[in-house]
Amino acid sequence: MNSVIPLIKKETLEDFLTARGVFSLIVASVVLSAFSILLVSNIELSLLDNAQAVYLMVSIILALASLVAIIQGSDGFAGERDRATLETLMLTPMTGQGLAAAKLIAMLFSWLILFVLCIPYLWAVGSTGQNLWAAVEYLSLMGTLLVLIFGGLALTLSAKVKSFRGVLSIGLTVFLFSGSPVLLGPALRQSAVGQMIDLINPFADALNTLDSVVIDSQGISFQVIRLTIMICYALGVLWVLYTATKRVEL
Amino acid sequence: MKLECLKPLTLLTAVHTFLLCATLVFAADAPAIKITLEHPDQTLRLGDTPAFIGTVTNLGETPLKGVVVYLSLVSLEPGNEHPVDLEDWSAEKAVRIDLLPPGQTSTHQWSMRLIQAGSFGVALTGIGTEEKQPTVSPLVRFYVEPKPGLDSKRVLPVAIGEPLLLLALWGAIRLLGGGIKHPLRVPSE
Repeated sequence: MNSVIPLIKKETLEDFLTARGVFSLIVASVVLSAFSILLVSNIELSLLDNAQAVYLMVSIILALASLVAIIQGSDGFAGERDRATLETLMLTPMTGQGLAAAKLIAMLFSWLILFVLCIPYLWAVGSTGQNLWAAVEYLSLMGTLLVLIFGGLALTLSAKVKSFRGVLSIGLTVFLFSGSPVLLGPALRQSAVGQMIDLINPFADALNTLDSVVIDSQGISFQVIRLTIMICYALGVLWVLYTATKRVEL
Repeated sequence: MKLECLKPLTLLTAVHTFLLCATLVFAADAPAIKITLEHPDQTLRLGDTPAFIGTVTNLGETPLKGVVVYLSLVSLEPGNEHPVDLEDWSAEKAVRIDLLPPGQTSTHQWSMRLIQAGSFGVALTGIGTEEKQPTVSPLVRFYVEPKPGLDSKRVLPVAIGEPLLLLALWGAIRLLGGGIKHPLRVPSE
């Protein structure tokens, strides 16, 4: 445990104090700025209800958080292996599971920073509308679960697949698949098959929960099924990660 | 009597006969349901949630079972007329009335959140299981006044300020020699 803490410190501080970490935050901030400027510069979009604007914004934030988690997860073991630093890490008393835990905590810290950066944008587009605080609360929950699911999955793959590029391409493919039903539009998603795909898809679950909370002002009782599914996914991914990192190959 | 005088009278009688027959035929097929929809008594603005009150009356002599009543919304913007998906406008668009005795009226309320400005028309349609055709209420027209939901005075300072703040932070890190030491690496003496 003592050897895990310095690694957690290093990984988390890297996101905030190194040029690379700050640059990634700037990129995330520029994406959100561009989107919020689009919302006010376009006449039709500027007439959107505040709740609609908040929902669009949180959708972008969740997509960003998932992407960042996949990139960081892919880099977790495979990146260290590519840079030939994994051997050094494995020479420390740290186990593969300890290493995975440190990487996962670092991912959650990255998400926390991104979440803090997003709050001013959400305030800017939604402070005069309804359900802003509900949106912030549910965003923190949905974002954490998505980071655990996608980041944990990428980290698991990273422990098994040798190259960073390989893990990243698999992770991005999974993310695109999970995002594709959302791109299909509401008409196709209303069919029985569409509803089933929506229910088993964690990314769609997160978006539908936020839609329900922010736009339809529905309470927690409407979210129980989707939340349960997402928590089950997160626990499943953590268990797979735990078993996959019992023995890490160099 | 001259023929010229008879002609208009015959024509009038024929018209009356036709109207009588048409009324009788119409009465035989007349729907047993009457549906009305009331316009909310207020100026409607974007973001409001007015309540449209609809009534369903059984005009027949037998009870109506399983009457489904649903709301339809259409955009009446000139040149852009189209039906509107009520998914985000109204939480509940269909109501089922299990039993409506003769002469009774069932009243329901449809709350609709106005998420788009412009001219719209809304109508209530009722379908009885034994009716030959659906009954539609008169179209209720309404106008949703625009209300800018997003204030550029709030959005722009954040959209421009936050990346600049992060850039300043990045610059400061670079200026101060940036980066952190690897905590697992033991510095050599």
